[in-house]
Amino acid sequence: MDPASGYCEGCRRSLEEIACWSQYCAAEKRAVLALLPARNAKP
Amino acid sequence: MSLPPQIRVLQRGWLSSNNILFYDEDGCTLVDSGYVAHAAQTLLLLQHALEGKPLARLINTHCHSDHMGGNAAVQRAYGCRIGVPVGEAPAIAAWDDATLMLSYTGQSAERFGVDDTICAGERLKLGGLDWEALAAPGHDPYALMFYQAEERILISGDALWQNGFGLIFSELVGQAGAFAETRSTLEVISRLDIATVIPGHGAPFGSVGRSLQSAFQRLDAYEREPEKLARHALKVMLSFSLMIHGRIELAALPRFLAERPIYADINQRFLNLPQAELCEYLVSDLARAGALKIEQGWLVAAA
Repeated sequence: MDPASGYCEGCRRSLEEIACWSQYCAAEKRAVLALLPARNAKP
Repeated sequence: MSLPPQIRVLQRGWLSSNNILFYDEDGCTLVDSGYVAHAAQTLLLLQHALEGKPLARLINTHCHSDHMGGNAAVQRAYGCRIGVPVGEAPAIAAWDDATLMLSYTGQSAERFGVDDTICAGERLKLGGLDWEALAAPGHDPYALMFYQAEERILISGDALWQNGFGLIFSELVGQAGAFAETRSTLEVISRLDIATVIPGHGAPFGSVGRSLQSAFQRLDAYEREPEKLARHALKVMLSFSLMIHGRIELAALPRFLAERPIYADINQRFLNLPQAELCEYLVSDLARAGALKIEQGWLVAAA
């Protein structure tokens, strides 16, 4: 995990998002995925 | 895919296997611990999911580096017992690098000790449910799967994924018979009543019939043309190496492959390509598949 942002250095998801991923429905997963490009832009 | 609340799947990527957590009142159990380089994240995810409950036990479906690499770190953090398939125990106890295929593949893991062994046919209590350990030779000769009959859940390890299964290493390194073992394991799965498969990699899935059909087709193709398996294996190995190292200098790729004997062994046994041609094939095929990019002379894993 990136200590500055709190996101995974590989996938840019938060710990909470990774831990809960398999419990998310498709819409919740899509909502998280939609947030990732902006997180990539600000490393 | 809905699972009983006492089962939590921590879905990881390809370098680290999934981690499956079972909540029990007298102590939780974790199945598989991921790759060693991801151990810090594994511990954070585990802490998050445990919510202060004690972890009593860690067990492995099999002892490849992407499934047991974090065992030592998890045991250090929680003091839990570690159980491995009985066939894996001697290599783990002796930390036999050759049998564990660590230097051979250029992979790492942290040494740990075995407290318990698990045999096929054994029954385990996980998340208040009864599970049966089933032999799953093929990808790994000593691998186990875990099956829960009432909830119809199979923890398949790398014996079956939604789209495929783990590399059949024994065939690749010259120990014949693993195709037949892989087939018998798929047949065992096809005789089970399954609502949900929790695979070693990828999301839990329900369409087991479709996955089995494509797995049998893939196995048929490999048996007909083992060089297909060899080409696939070399690409998977290089992708895995790229995930470990982040990037590999293109000019240094021949030396990189030479330092990891599995590449030359598979090449000599199945393909016999000159080294330069092998490098060219792997890079161009993985680039075409979108698995890597070339940036200023470096191979970089594609996001």
